[in-house]
Amino acid sequence: MKMNWRKAVALFAMTPVWFAEPGRWAMAQDVSARFDHRGQCVGDRNGDGQVTIDELVAGVNNILDGCGYTPVEIRFAGHVGDEPFHCGATYPNVGRNLGEFTPSDFRFYISNIRLITPDDREIPVLLEQDGMWQLEDIALLDFENKTSPCVNGTVQTNDTVRGRVAPGTYNGIRFVLGVPFRRNHGDASVAPAPLSLTAMFWSWQAGYKFLRVDTALDGYRIHVGSTGCYYAQPGVVGGCARPNRADIVLRPFSPQDDVIVADLAALLADSDLGQNEEGTPPGCMSDPGDDDCDALFRNLGVDFASGQPVAALQRFFRVMQRQ
Amino acid sequence: MRVIGIEKRRPLYFLLVGLLVYPVQALYGTEAQMPYVLELPTGFPKPKVPPDNALSIEKIALGRFLFYDRRLSGNQSQACASCHQQALAFTDGRARAVGSTGEVHPRSAMSLTNVAYATALGWANPLLDSLERQVLVPLFNERPVELGLTGKEEEAFDRLRTDLRYQRMFAEAFPDQRDPFTLGNVVKAIASFERTLISGNTPYDRYVQGLDDHALSEEAFFGGRLFFSERLECFHCHGGFNFTASVTHEGNPFDETSFQNNGLYNIDGRGSYPPDNTGLFEITHIPSDMGRFKAPTLRNLSYTAPYMHDGSIATLEEVIDHYAAGGRTIHSGPYAGDGSKNPYKSNFVRGFVLTEEEKQQLLAFLRSLDDPEFVTNPRFSDPFEPWACVADCNYDRTVTVDELVRAVGLALGISPLAVCLPADPSGEGDSTIDELLQGVQALLAGCQGTPGMTRP
Repeated sequence: MKMNWRKAVALFAMTPVWFAEPGRWAMAQDVSARFDHRGQCVGDRNGDGQVTIDELVAGVNNILDGCGYTPVEIRFAGHVGDEPFHCGATYPNVGRNLGEFTPSDFRFYISNIRLITPDDREIPVLLEQDGMWQLEDIALLDFENKTSPCVNGTVQTNDTVRGRVAPGTYNGIRFVLGVPFRRNHGDASVAPAPLSLTAMFWSWQAGYKFLRVDTALDGYRIHVGSTGCYYAQPGVVGGCARPNRADIVLRPFSPQDDVIVADLAALLADSDLGQNEEGTPPGCMSDPGDDDCDALFRNLGVDFASGQPVAALQRFFRVMQRQ
Repeated sequence: MRVIGIEKRRPLYFLLVGLLVYPVQALYGTEAQMPYVLELPTGFPKPKVPPDNALSIEKIALGRFLFYDRRLSGNQSQACASCHQQALAFTDGRARAVGSTGEVHPRSAMSLTNVAYATALGWANPLLDSLERQVLVPLFNERPVELGLTGKEEEAFDRLRTDLRYQRMFAEAFPDQRDPFTLGNVVKAIASFERTLISGNTPYDRYVQGLDDHALSEEAFFGGRLFFSERLECFHCHGGFNFTASVTHEGNPFDETSFQNNGLYNIDGRGSYPPDNTGLFEITHIPSDMGRFKAPTLRNLSYTAPYMHDGSIATLEEVIDHYAAGGRTIHSGPYAGDGSKNPYKSNFVRGFVLTEEEKQQLLAFLRSLDDPEFVTNPRFSDPFEPWACVADCNYDRTVTVDELVRAVGLALGISPLAVCLPADPSGEGDSTIDELLQGVQALLAGCQGTPGMTRP
């Protein structure tokens, strides 16, 4: 990292400004402010316990030039097999019994999105806070457009996650299918978008549906979310017996060249759409007693008995080259 | 609206109304957003109220309208009040409730009697720990569909926005908000109204508070002894001022909830309940929670038949027979089994023997917990049916000068609509001069006819 004379002058000129600002000096004296949220010494990039001039210069460059993140767009596509998802379209040969399938909703939350480098490092994607589809590290993908029979839906659709990431080479992606625990159990009635969509509320479980798929004709519905949740203290959920969050790893994947296909035919490949476990709701609403969920959860990459992710099992998402 | 006799004396009435303006401004200018204190029966503790939803008269009045408003369902066919009818102590008289799309709920609509004190709302869901959380379930539940508002709430709010009365009431309940027609506000208002559904004016209450030594019949008195006996064990789960162990109140740091298996089913001999009604197990997944449901309040039982979480017992007599037998035996059909041998059954459901006389005494005691005033109180009634006595703010069937002053304050926009809903029988969110004149007439001549919940 080179320090040119312009930057040196600029830095020198900034010094009195820095000291003059009230409170700054006190903050610098605050020992905790000298460590980042992981407990690492601020400015110690290589983690050797000291801040070198080179590391300081990198920080100065970030002050003067901005951090130099590169924008990244991660494209998704809702599919039923090889066909794109459309509200009300009828798809043949879906499920174990190769029946007809007419979806009427298709939405899911993903979170904690990371791009993977060739040397297996996971670099977080910082999501654009757009006030609509993305909140903190959570994004809603929405393939329905409220046309019949998707009557509970929204006109707006979203197939793209937008954010920024440290520049580099990436050949994989990892994300969680679901709302993170810290955001899953708040007051939904006043939650900001995209946690404000009532179709994704799962109020009787004090959480959200992570994945919602409805069908038009036979009432077969898929609602995946955390179950077995309990309060640790009044009003504060302490945990859930079955988190039911899938951990998705896709490799190889190039954010520029590829699209992530979420395929309902693959999700339902081992389910029998014509059959339903007696005494349970049609489809799978994550109820531990509903055997209809077993095959479906496996294809999501979640062990149904424990609610824990088994990334290797998942078949719901796959990578396809952009057209 | 025209009232005979008003026309020719109009100037006089105008003068009277005009004279009321001054005291209105002096006395009621600051009435808006006053903290509201619930009127509680003697011996009742204060209910807990969430810090972000303090009670106000504006929220309570708005919540009352929303509770009765069919526009809050997806197909506009049902309101909260469809399954929670005042005359039935806010139940629906059905074994299992029916939602707005005709789907049958696995459970019976619960009474809202004293719901402000409940620690867990619904029959078996410890996660629903506040009315604010609970309200979302009937609005948006899809399994089964209840009000069926999922994804359609903005359409519903648009329906409310066009209503002049709501324009005023939302703004007064939630001042300083750019658009108060939000889900959060709807939820807060309905919860506030529900917190006012307090019932404690029963023969039992008058007796134990020492207000009337003769309030309880001798039969009911001895029935009470049975109820509170270790022989019958009723009071363990149905004790306290609200006759349920799932109760809390202000100043009580503990939120106890009592979920019990009372031996209604035992399908496989291993304790199973019908698959659509497994109780607490459905939420916790813990095997021993199979068949555990909340012990509900026993107040107003005469109005809330049929009984149990699935309405499977029709009468109070049969309920007593069920507990006397220590559980229910179903001899045939898919749910056949000996409930008394359910391995998860509460220790208190052990069975007992009662003489016919004792049974009648117990029934008399249970009926002494009925509160006829609660099921007819106009404050809890459908506000879309105008109160026939115009400007009778407190629903006591007489109009006083004080009430007329309130009505004028409302017409001037000084007081919120909530201070006197009967001053706006036409429902346009204001008290018009015609309505005020009707109020003046009621003040001078008394309320005409038989005031009640009929259109004037």
